[in-house]
Amino acid sequence: MTPPSRPTHSALTRSTDPRRQRLDRLATASITVGAFAVLAAILAIGIFLLWESFLLLSMAGTFTLDTLSPLAWGTLKAALAAMLLALPIALGAAIYTALYMPLRLRSRVKPALEMMEAIPGVVVGFIAGLVLAPWVERHLAITLVLLVWLPLSTLLAGVLWHRARQSLRKRLPFSWAGLWLIPWLIAMTFIALWATPGVEQALIGGDLRQWLDQQLGINYATRNAMIVGMAMGFAVIPSIYALAEDALADVPPSLLEGAQALGATRWQALWKVALPAAGPGIFSAVMIGAGRAVGETMIVLMASGNTALFSASPFEGMRSIAAAIAIELPEAAPGSSTYHVLIFAALVLFLFTFLVNTLAEVVRLRLRTRLSDMGGRG
Amino acid sequence: MLASPHVSNAAYLTHFSAEQSCLNIERFSLAYAGKIALRELTLSVPRHRVTAFIGPSGCGKSTLLRAINRLHDLNENATHSGRITIEGEDIYADNMQVSELRRRIGMVFQTPNPFPMSIYENVAFGLRLQKRMSKRKRDDIIEWALTSAALWDEVKDRLHKSAWQLSGGQQQRLVIARTLAVQPDILLLDEPASALDPISTLKVEELIRNLKSQLTLILVTHNMQQAARVSDYTAFLHGGELIEYGPTDQVFTNPHLQRTEDYITGRMT
Amino acid sequence: MSRLWPWLCAASVALSLLMLAALLTLLLTRGLGHFWPATLESVTLDSGEIIAGEAVREAPLPHRDGEERLYFTGNRDLDSHRWRWVAIDRIAERSTPRALVRLERSPWGDFIGYLSAFESGSDHLEGDAAWHALTTALAHTTFERSNATLVLQSATGETLRQPLNEIYRAHRPNAMAWWEKIRYWFQGVWQFLSEGPRAANTGGGVWPAIFGTVLMVMVMSVIVMPFGVLAAIYLNEIAHQGRLTRLVRIGVRNLAGVPSIVYGVFGLGVFVYGIGSSLDAWFFSDSLPSPTFGTGGLLWASLTLALLTLPVVIVATEEGLARIPDAQREGAVALGATRLEMLTRVVLPMAAPAMLTAMILAVARAAGEVAPLMLVGVAKLAPQMPVDGEFPYLHVERKFMHLGYHLFDTAYHGEDMQAALPLVYATALLLVVIVLVLNLTAILLRHYLRHQRGQSC
Repeated sequence: MTPPSRPTHSALTRSTDPRRQRLDRLATASITVGAFAVLAAILAIGIFLLWESFLLLSMAGTFTLDTLSPLAWGTLKAALAAMLLALPIALGAAIYTALYMPLRLRSRVKPALEMMEAIPGVVVGFIAGLVLAPWVERHLAITLVLLVWLPLSTLLAGVLWHRARQSLRKRLPFSWAGLWLIPWLIAMTFIALWATPGVEQALIGGDLRQWLDQQLGINYATRNAMIVGMAMGFAVIPSIYALAEDALADVPPSLLEGAQALGATRWQALWKVALPAAGPGIFSAVMIGAGRAVGETMIVLMASGNTALFSASPFEGMRSIAAAIAIELPEAAPGSSTYHVLIFAALVLFLFTFLVNTLAEVVRLRLRTRLSDMGGRG
Repeated sequence: MLASPHVSNAAYLTHFSAEQSCLNIERFSLAYAGKIALRELTLSVPRHRVTAFIGPSGCGKSTLLRAINRLHDLNENATHSGRITIEGEDIYADNMQVSELRRRIGMVFQTPNPFPMSIYENVAFGLRLQKRMSKRKRDDIIEWALTSAALWDEVKDRLHKSAWQLSGGQQQRLVIARTLAVQPDILLLDEPASALDPISTLKVEELIRNLKSQLTLILVTHNMQQAARVSDYTAFLHGGELIEYGPTDQVFTNPHLQRTEDYITGRMT
Repeated sequence: MSRLWPWLCAASVALSLLMLAALLTLLLTRGLGHFWPATLESVTLDSGEIIAGEAVREAPLPHRDGEERLYFTGNRDLDSHRWRWVAIDRIAERSTPRALVRLERSPWGDFIGYLSAFESGSDHLEGDAAWHALTTALAHTTFERSNATLVLQSATGETLRQPLNEIYRAHRPNAMAWWEKIRYWFQGVWQFLSEGPRAANTGGGVWPAIFGTVLMVMVMSVIVMPFGVLAAIYLNEIAHQGRLTRLVRIGVRNLAGVPSIVYGVFGLGVFVYGIGSSLDAWFFSDSLPSPTFGTGGLLWASLTLALLTLPVVIVATEEGLARIPDAQREGAVALGATRLEMLTRVVLPMAAPAMLTAMILAVARAAGEVAPLMLVGVAKLAPQMPVDGEFPYLHVERKFMHLGYHLFDTAYHGEDMQAALPLVYATALLLVVIVLVLNLTAILLRHYLRHQRGQSC
């Protein structure tokens, strides 16, 4: 077959079609402009918050701290309560998924847990404030018992499993325990529901809430820090879990196997090898979880009772910065001192979460390079 | 036919006169993120011949190939000095139209990289970038390109199927066809057979030998038998420097330098 | 003990899954169960009083042993409350008469009782004929109905005259066969999705909220997608990959962690009070002091959420771009393509699923976000839809209803939370289903993407 006539070659410095070159330059320019517009918009957030808070300085008065400190306390208290619940569960789940679960199960369980993150805060807040809070108020004793009884019953399950016959242990392998413990936990919950009222009657002769109020003078608010902790804990578990699991899964398996070859159990290998190696990743997971807990608005708004109190009691409510902004800012006249104070509060939130996230990200990136140096999948 | 090459000042560095060569590299150096990859290379490539670049991995042979196509432009950490000219024009000149240059210098990569389109669209890709042409003319060129790449008979019934369904060897020949379709003067091949099975490799080698009637080929390979089988001239690079350059027979059977011999006989890797 | 620690870890997984399942089950049963025609009871107390209603739940008596049961009795126009707690040991007799009727009405909420007569002009129908006439009349829309009146009798014996055009649905659950109940259930679900709220959010549906949410999300996507994709292309394809680009990338990533309320504050301060007020002063000064753009509205809400979802789009798109092998780019460039041609012909088509994923993730995030909307533009009950037949058809300055905010508002600011609760459950379920389906699509798309790429290269 004969080749088609060759195109005539002009000098290389002259394009055969100058329109293409112009279009290319135009596109590059517009992409750059678009990107810088995005960057400008992002910077504008910080600048706006700083500027409006700066205006506050020109307004006389020391009210800033007085109005903000109970809110700051409320924010910290809510975040702390959430972290108390979320940390053990999220990290435990991450350890189990990364180190004990078979790959096939992991590829199903992980997305399922990550789905938790997608559930809107307003739905979690609604369930917490209108369903969970009244139930806990009526069944305070059961709730407190469950908080202790569920971990204990798991340990019991472990003891029973180790004592059980080989055939049963084969049928219910530990690597699948994340699934078959679910019916166990349900059963244990029902036992607690059934047994607690009787014990409560026998020990304190009636309702725990009244007893707390009368004997110890502890006030119980329907929507309180404990409820917020449960609800927001539920909301931050998936973000901590996902990042911590990633960090643990990135630890090269050869490291764990090496430790186990020296006679360490899997749990010892985890403590001595995996956790130190994945430490920075877990740290950043916790940081990001904390950032989310501090900034979450709807859950605190709906489950906390919104009373700006200085109280350390887990049974009292609080009001957080984010919730205060959501409620008060639409009412505040632009330019008024309340308006500026609330914007200052937003600035505090912005700076706090931004710094915490940057710290987490930097630590995470550093870990990534370190692990890939060690031959992980980095 | 070409006149016998003019032998330059150093006996082990063959040099071609301006009319024999289509590509001239003069004292070309390239540094990548501050690390020098090519050092003061001077080399001319003869027209309508297959020239092979050989050398241990990291010697700079691929880097040189990519420099000829200005692919380092995509990476901003690369800096260079010296000149590379094609038919007398400096390819690094400020007013150079890079896309025009790359159309004239085709390149085939180590792993086949067909686009996620049909076989037909892959070959038509370069044509569609240029001035409009009739569908008939385009079909003709595509058939010619696929025939030249010895692929036409295998794919003529499924031109509109995805190119990703082809075997590795077929994909690589498709990539060659795609490059031929824009009718370049020079074809750069960066270890084109290293990801292929032996039979596909032989097909690609045969194709390379057949193509030199149409254009000038530069082949980078780590496979010395391959270089010996297909190339007319061989350049041996080491540590970013050109060590020996001459007719393939001579370089392989009677190298001037001990270093070249060490490498070719496998004493140096 | 070290053998037992892993068990706590395993239980953490089990507990998390359990909590998720419990939440979804609760929403599913309560949200969907509400539309099932519940059996109506006629209860005779030992005092001789008769009440009719739907049994809702039971709880221990506050001051003595035993249980009490909550009945939904409706008829707020007759006795000013809709609920009745009855101690179980005081119930003398319970029955489920087939003639008990439940009417869904607009101003006063549900009626539970008996239908005595159907009066239309001079016609006076009673018994089954009246019921038949009522169901026939309800098949027409409110506008086409004749000026008929219903004569109703409550369980306590009070008589009530009710205009027909205030009634939306009527059913006699005790007389319904199972297939009629299923049909009624589907009708209820459809009504929930297609109608507006009524009777102070205790009845009707959430259509305006669905519409508002979808519209807001669409306007937001139109704004965020071009900018997000441009920024991602810039960061991945054009920018010098140095320290500064890495810094910008970390910054963008971190913005995803900034609380949504902060974006709301920015939207209120800059869009509403800043740009909006200026627009009003320049173009809409004749309608001042009532603001046009200087108050929350669809446009400002969409812009705020666009800013909020920008990091999501950038990160997901960039991830897709980064996954395209450089060989593809080099292949295109080696054929003489300019950067624009390489991008539009090879890179962007390959990144299209990633961009789609980015958009779905952004939409899912925006659909569930409520806090910033409280500042920049939702309304409890929007008097006008943001889209109508009036030029320019899409009114971006209007307030709009949003599913998430509707849920919050009905649950926390309704007059009768107890009566609105079933609809709140249904709204929450709808919201969760929308968000989860969107996320699931994104996950599957991403999975498919990795799979496909993995096979070919």
